[in-house]
Amino acid sequence: MNVKLIRRAIAYAVLWLLAAAFATPFIYTLYNSFMPLKYANKLVGMKEWTLEHYATFFTNEAYNVPLWFWNTLVMTGIIMLGNWIVNPMAAYALAKLNFRGKKLVLWMVMATMMVPYHMILIPVYVNMAQIGWLNTFAGLTVPFLYQCLYIFMLRQFYLGIPNELIEASRIDGLNKIGGFWRIVFPLAKSSLITMSILTFAGTWNSYLVPSTFVSSPEKYVLVVGLNSLKDAAFEKTSLIMAGVVLSTVPILLFFFFFQKQYIEGVSTSGIKG
Amino acid sequence: MNEYNAGTRGIANRGKNGQGKFAYSRLADSDAFVAWIFILPFIVLWAWWFFYPFLQSFIRSFQDVNFAALDEAKFIGFGNYAKILQDPDFYRALLHSLEIVAISVPSQAVLGLLLAILVNKKIAGQGIFRTVFFIPYIASQIAVTTVFMMLFKQDTFVTRFFALLGMKNATWFADTDYALLFVCMLFVFQQVGFSMIVYLSGLQEIPRDLYEAAEIDGASKGNQFRYITVPSLKPVIFFVVSVSTILAFQIYDQIAAISRYGALGTPAGATSTVVTYFYQHGIRYLNIGYGCAAVVLFFFVILAVTAIQKKLLDAKD
Repeated sequence: MNVKLIRRAIAYAVLWLLAAAFATPFIYTLYNSFMPLKYANKLVGMKEWTLEHYATFFTNEAYNVPLWFWNTLVMTGIIMLGNWIVNPMAAYALAKLNFRGKKLVLWMVMATMMVPYHMILIPVYVNMAQIGWLNTFAGLTVPFLYQCLYIFMLRQFYLGIPNELIEASRIDGLNKIGGFWRIVFPLAKSSLITMSILTFAGTWNSYLVPSTFVSSPEKYVLVVGLNSLKDAAFEKTSLIMAGVVLSTVPILLFFFFFQKQYIEGVSTSGIKG
Repeated sequence: MNEYNAGTRGIANRGKNGQGKFAYSRLADSDAFVAWIFILPFIVLWAWWFFYPFLQSFIRSFQDVNFAALDEAKFIGFGNYAKILQDPDFYRALLHSLEIVAISVPSQAVLGLLLAILVNKKIAGQGIFRTVFFIPYIASQIAVTTVFMMLFKQDTFVTRFFALLGMKNATWFADTDYALLFVCMLFVFQQVGFSMIVYLSGLQEIPRDLYEAAEIDGASKGNQFRYITVPSLKPVIFFVVSVSTILAFQIYDQIAAISRYGALGTPAGATSTVVTYFYQHGIRYLNIGYGCAAVVLFFFVILAVTAIQKKLLDAKD
């Protein structure tokens, strides 16, 4: 009994220590974001707390957080819309229709999944410069309107929908396109939700692509803007911490809203989005 | 509606709308036609924004070509590769990439398992603990790196704490000895939540009676962990290790963030990796051919490491 008690106490102690270590950056960020600059990195209580840093982001043209927020929203919105259309359609063809070249297309999807985006970054950058897509929403979104990982994921899900259902719908007068819209699409809602959540999180947090294809501040997305703010005002700890809070709150709210589906999606695919 | 009615309705419709409607409905019922319509958007986007650039990466890697003079591309065979393989900076970058993988992948795999076991117990505030460990994974790499850069400056409470443990009281990301460790730490801090969640689902699938039987046989907790938990989790451990290896190889955001206005891989190349190497040459210096050759090498390094890892993990089975 005693050994058990001691073991339990140790487990608790380790857990609390680790939790404290993990929580420290968050508490630090939140606390500093509300404190005047002169108290940066000092623990002085909350008496002189202020919202001035948050206010800066809505008044100072150089750190145009509302604009960056809007840009992020547009980028994420367009990409999600594209993925909703392109991925399910391709997945349906690969799961439920017979056509010549199906094996080849499936192989293409799976091979593309294995290639890191770094591999094509330089040529994509060059091609984009040539058609004038750098610093545009087109450049930020069009190449990402599909995701092979999700085509594959949706296909696996569609395979599980019995063919009899689609055949029955054909007897009821639906053609192959109708079979997709009326039968497969609604039945596979959960896989579509998983895809949407992963796409949203991945796009919202992405840095490599938006920082490479965009160089003018009026087209920055939040993450890129935050990074530029950090570089430009590195000494203003409290201001930067307020920026971190502002840029992270949306994705945290999103997470708390879709917690269950997000965790399920992430732990099966291993992909943040 | 019964089958007979449905059938007659279909025929009636065709009759009403004439030949055009009939042709459409025939097409809309043909697998091949519908399939190609459905797959077309993907094929177009894929060919345009994946396959073409993918081929270009290889072609450009054999060219001497700069962004400023794309028309003057010269075929130089393996010239770029030869130059890269003679560049000590490349080997340094490659070594750093391997170091990051070697340090951060095992540490986050072990720490993740520890966290999963701890939060799997029936304890007060279980949900809160899980959230605390998982949240870093959701935040952007840039946000987390920014906060850690503030925390790991010289003379903050964090660096002073580590000084008590025998480390230097230094600005970690600007110190050539600590900068790479700093990057590894950032990766572990964010990735460990993912591993914890994956382990948790694995732990919950281990049948309880296995432990009960072991308890009756008098097996110690340590032996239960060694002979029940670890073997049952093996596939999960493989998954965690392979996912995080790929991600550790691709680390970019954290290193870009700590470089600020300097060249990627600051301080003094202490955090250069294969990724920053190709990015610096291909995108920042716009030396397209050279950068593409570096990318192709990066691709083969990843392929090689995944193949070796697969061999090792399969052999253990």
